[in-house]
Amino acid sequence: MDNNEIWVYVEITGSKIEPTSLQLITKAKQIADGRKVVAVVPETSKTQAETIIKEYGPDRIESLVDDQFDEATDEELADALFQVTDQNRPNSLLFPATILGRSIAPRLQAKLQTGLTGDSLDIYYENDLLVQVKPTYGDNVMCDIVCPDKRPQMVTVRPNTFRAKKVNNSQTEIVQAEFTFHKNKNSKIIATDPIINSSSKLDDAKVVIALGRGAYSEKNIKLAQKLAAKLGGMVGVSRPLTDEAEFSHDDQIGIGGASLSADLLINLGISGAVQYTVGIKNAKKIVSVNIDKDAPIFDDSDFAYVGDVTDFLNALMNQVK
Amino acid sequence: MKIVVGVKQVPETDSVKIDPKTNNLVRSGIQGIINPFDKNAIEAALQLRDQAGGEVILLSMGPDSYTTSLRDGMAMGADSAVLVSSRAFGGADTLATGYTLAKAIEAIGDVDLVLFGRQSVDADTGQVGPIVAELLNFPQVTFAETVSLESENTIVAKRQLDSAVQDVQVTLPAVVTVRKELNTPRYETPLNIKESFEKQITTWTENDLNIDFSKIGQSGSPTKVTKVYEPTKELKQTTVLPVDPTEAVSELLSKLD
Repeated sequence: MDNNEIWVYVEITGSKIEPTSLQLITKAKQIADGRKVVAVVPETSKTQAETIIKEYGPDRIESLVDDQFDEATDEELADALFQVTDQNRPNSLLFPATILGRSIAPRLQAKLQTGLTGDSLDIYYENDLLVQVKPTYGDNVMCDIVCPDKRPQMVTVRPNTFRAKKVNNSQTEIVQAEFTFHKNKNSKIIATDPIINSSSKLDDAKVVIALGRGAYSEKNIKLAQKLAAKLGGMVGVSRPLTDEAEFSHDDQIGIGGASLSADLLINLGISGAVQYTVGIKNAKKIVSVNIDKDAPIFDDSDFAYVGDVTDFLNALMNQVK
Repeated sequence: MKIVVGVKQVPETDSVKIDPKTNNLVRSGIQGIINPFDKNAIEAALQLRDQAGGEVILLSMGPDSYTTSLRDGMAMGADSAVLVSSRAFGGADTLATGYTLAKAIEAIGDVDLVLFGRQSVDADTGQVGPIVAELLNFPQVTFAETVSLESENTIVAKRQLDSAVQDVQVTLPAVVTVRKELNTPRYETPLNIKESFEKQITTWTENDLNIDFSKIGQSGSPTKVTKVYEPTKELKQTTVLPVDPTEAVSELLSKLD
């Protein structure tokens, strides 16, 4: 049995609601075309996330309450979600492409024996088919992927791809979903430490100084870090630089890394491959510095400086107060 | 300890062509390499083997040319390799791939630990590890940045979520997908390269596995690629700043405010 609803998984870690889940509720409402939008929320009795989720106007919230969700494993979360989606299968099921979303969605996919597209950048309906848009195989290739025969149509969507919008006077029905928390005896979360310095910070940073292969030098890294500190921002990199000792995956912008929502982004020595530019399309003002006047990054930029990265950084350090 | 490492061969270049008729990747003429993240998984497996004893078996699904990557992995020190290869597996999406690999792991038998790289660099989805774990009913740790053997049948791994770091304890058999930060993959030594050619690559087809033929290849894949295209860009109005860096920055700062 199928229903025609769009379900959105609301991820909660600690007591924090993952912003991408709220972005997906807004997006689901925009594409719903008469379908009901349902937020599915595994939570503890203390969380009471409904109050916040309601502000984004889903038609219904399916709340799965059990205090063991505090430290639930991937297996336990996937099992709980399976119990509420298997019998009456939604048309679509959307997940944030966070670490957790990317870990539980494929487990649930295997239980439901349906299709899942990972790390999608856009979704829209063609009749009842959810078209999932995803960049693939390196430069300049996009794919449209559909799941014609199986339900739900599952997809994980990159953080900050859409903007969450609150709605007034939403009529949201809140339902306590029936399920049983099945403890998995073979896995256990034995410690949880909150972190402050993570890639999600890069996603949310107001100012980002981004370094690419063309700017990689000890001097430029130091200058970029100083400038970032001065502007209250962060340093990020394009994928090639994650291979260098100074940087890790957490610093990466673009596919597989952060999606920026910065007010100001300064690209240094970045050529502008699509794997990178998908991560910057929501940055408000983009300044790019490259020695190559034909670098594709300039097409995505509000300001272009053709010249040396170090000279430009020094000038910025001197003039920024 | 019997450790299986999932290995994917990926195109060396980023500018891969797609066949507009079949919507599939044109693999011919492009050098294949081991997916870089998978090398971290192999390294983790070798370290665990060195600590606990046992063997490291590489597992891949793909055409015969994938033996290149399997040889490379054995030159790092893996003991043997299994290649699941047949036209019947062609066009598999993540679900059909996960199913086939899970069945191959069952066929290898008595596997304690299955390791994967966090994702492949070409399609970039990272789904196959958790799918295999689910189908084998194994617990999982994804995106692990440390992996340690706590007892004969327990692994503790650290994974970084977006706002917290978790220590996850799993009872073997289990699936772990690893991040690049976990380790630095060892280089292939001349001796290991020489020895890798004496090590065995077993090739299995669909007839060697106890599988449901409707769940493999294109017919076992719920997802279809309907369109492959170049993304259209909205060109921005770009202000070109003056050549002199000082003037450039002055102009920039005045216009940003």
